[in-house]
Amino acid sequence: MVHFIQTLLSGLSLGSIYALIALGYTMVYGIAKMLNFAHGDVIMIGAYAGIVIVAQLGMPPVAAIVLSVVICALLGMLIEYLAYKPLRQAPPLSVLITAIGVSYFLQNIALLIFGSQQKAYPTLFEVPDFTVGGVVVDGGTVLTLCTSAIIMVVLTFFINKTKLGKAMRAVSEDKAASALMGISVNRAITLTFAIGSALAAFASIFYGITYVYIKPTTGAMPGIKAFTAAVFGGIGSIPGAMLGGILLGMIEQFSKTYISTLWADAIVFGVLVLVLVVKPTGLLGRKISEKV
Amino acid sequence: MKKKFFALMMACVMAFTMTACGGGADTTGDTTSGDTQSGGQTASDSIVIGTIGPLTGPYANYGLSVKQGAEVAVAEINAAGGINGKQVVLLSEDSQGDPDSAVSAYGKLMDDGIHALLGCTLSGETANVVAAAAEDDVMILTPSGSADKCLEGNDKAFRVCFYDSYQGTAAAQYIVDNALATEVAILYQSDVDYSVGLYNSFKAKCEESNIKIVETQTFTASTATDFSTQVDALVASGAKVVFTPIYAEEASTFLTQAKGKFASDVYFFGADGLDGILGKVEQDPSIANNVLMLTPFAADSDDAGVKSFVESYQTAYGATPDQFAAGSYDGVYVLKAAIEKAGSTSGAAMAQAMTEITVEGITGSMTWTADGNTSKAASAILYFDGVGKLFG
Repeated sequence: MVHFIQTLLSGLSLGSIYALIALGYTMVYGIAKMLNFAHGDVIMIGAYAGIVIVAQLGMPPVAAIVLSVVICALLGMLIEYLAYKPLRQAPPLSVLITAIGVSYFLQNIALLIFGSQQKAYPTLFEVPDFTVGGVVVDGGTVLTLCTSAIIMVVLTFFINKTKLGKAMRAVSEDKAASALMGISVNRAITLTFAIGSALAAFASIFYGITYVYIKPTTGAMPGIKAFTAAVFGGIGSIPGAMLGGILLGMIEQFSKTYISTLWADAIVFGVLVLVLVVKPTGLLGRKISEKV
Repeated sequence: MKKKFFALMMACVMAFTMTACGGGADTTGDTTSGDTQSGGQTASDSIVIGTIGPLTGPYANYGLSVKQGAEVAVAEINAAGGINGKQVVLLSEDSQGDPDSAVSAYGKLMDDGIHALLGCTLSGETANVVAAAAEDDVMILTPSGSADKCLEGNDKAFRVCFYDSYQGTAAAQYIVDNALATEVAILYQSDVDYSVGLYNSFKAKCEESNIKIVETQTFTASTATDFSTQVDALVASGAKVVFTPIYAEEASTFLTQAKGKFASDVYFFGADGLDGILGKVEQDPSIANNVLMLTPFAADSDDAGVKSFVESYQTAYGATPDQFAAGSYDGVYVLKAAIEKAGSTSGAAMAQAMTEITVEGITGSMTWTADGNTSKAASAILYFDGVGKLFG
């Protein structure tokens, strides 16, 4: 039982990191109809930003959180402006290849600046572990869980209730029509990248707190898993990304604990294939009848 | 129809990026030449020894130790008059730990006219270079390439270090001899030959010696970030010794996540791969508390040779040498002994000489069999609060 609860908690914590990253994927896909494969590497840059701000510049942890969010948001907008905007009318494949190019570019920039040796993420705040009914609960896990829950609630509110959020949803429905209604499509897309990358910054902070060591390739695997989570939940759907992320984290940790650490990844991706076969739009994906 | 196509495309994209990311981890960069002696040109009155290893990248700690250990030995030998009156020149090439780059580095060293190769540092590199050099009349002595098979296919290849199946066996024997535990747990990396090799021989020896393996956990390069489930399972097993035949980089991640979860009398017992662990946990050396490492070399030993080496090494590099540096230091002296015995730098003649010499090094007393292996006594070092001390 203790084992079960511990696995549940670590699954939830891993899942919320996936969910935060998946939100970035899914929002960008929903609006720009492109897969931003550089998204995972924005997390890596965010993590390095945290290391530089706290460990090398000696600033307080709060500055690390605020600044890495700002840096990631700016980076996201910059990537969109330089790499994706010129390709807005290009075929999807060109954009996809560009995104992979940006991903490798970011990895290699980090390799040049920080070297390939792992660096330790600073301890931003001491979260004490506590014991509930004989189970040692990791403080960082609880913090990750609560903060991601808050972020998700705020994001849902923003998307559904505010004007900007509505504009973003409108653009995602129909670009041409929303442009006619006076919505600036470019601004909505830029905003999406900024928000997605800011979420990546939060993911980088939780990743740093939970897994400590950062390398230039750190973003690659979580990026792929989060993309899987986004597709799993139904790409383009925000609740889908959350659900997909959490489920994926749980499946991964439970298969590690109860089946085999060797098989965990195979099971995770196997589940994805199954879901796509049965429900090609993902768990919460909308059925869109395309006009031909 | 379109939806099916979309799903298919997603799957393809994912398969593609999976492989792309896997490949991205081992970047093959340029090999930067680091001539340690002035010149770098072959002169007829000098003996040129090459080293190959990762001087940059995640395994740089091993390659740098090998390079620096060799430099200390070369300086000593040159100060004492060289080998057969000839000064020794050391040329070091960076492989970044990549086996293919190591072969390119070997080609470059051959162009520079090396007489013998002290390398490579990692087993994978060594295996490739040993195969590539099979037709060349150059002796290869790896200070640290420990995989059983990495010397195969070339009768001029030898090693200074333990070989993996011996390390695994010796580790199990050490547990028996020192009555450390009767029940052990294991954590190993299932996609690395070194780790699997040690695991297999350790397991075999345990079965033979009635040590019970109560838990076996694994990970791979792509899952080496999250050890939470492994830590939980290993803690739950209650074993007092966790055998960890893994590399220092992965060990630092594991130990960071394991900190405070294990009882304070549980040892993490590993082999040469753990060497350099303190450099990986600089932010909090207590992470490496209770790490026990099987080694032929202990820097705090009373042996006069060890003391003088440690002193020279500390003066030159401001760090305590690990077993990679010590093995490399011994390696230079082994090459010296082989050249003197053979009377030439011909690889075939030196290989013949290798089976006839005995070298008393700082990592122990060594003789070689024709297959290139040597066996010597193993001791263990225990790390606590950033200090490693001879255990037992």
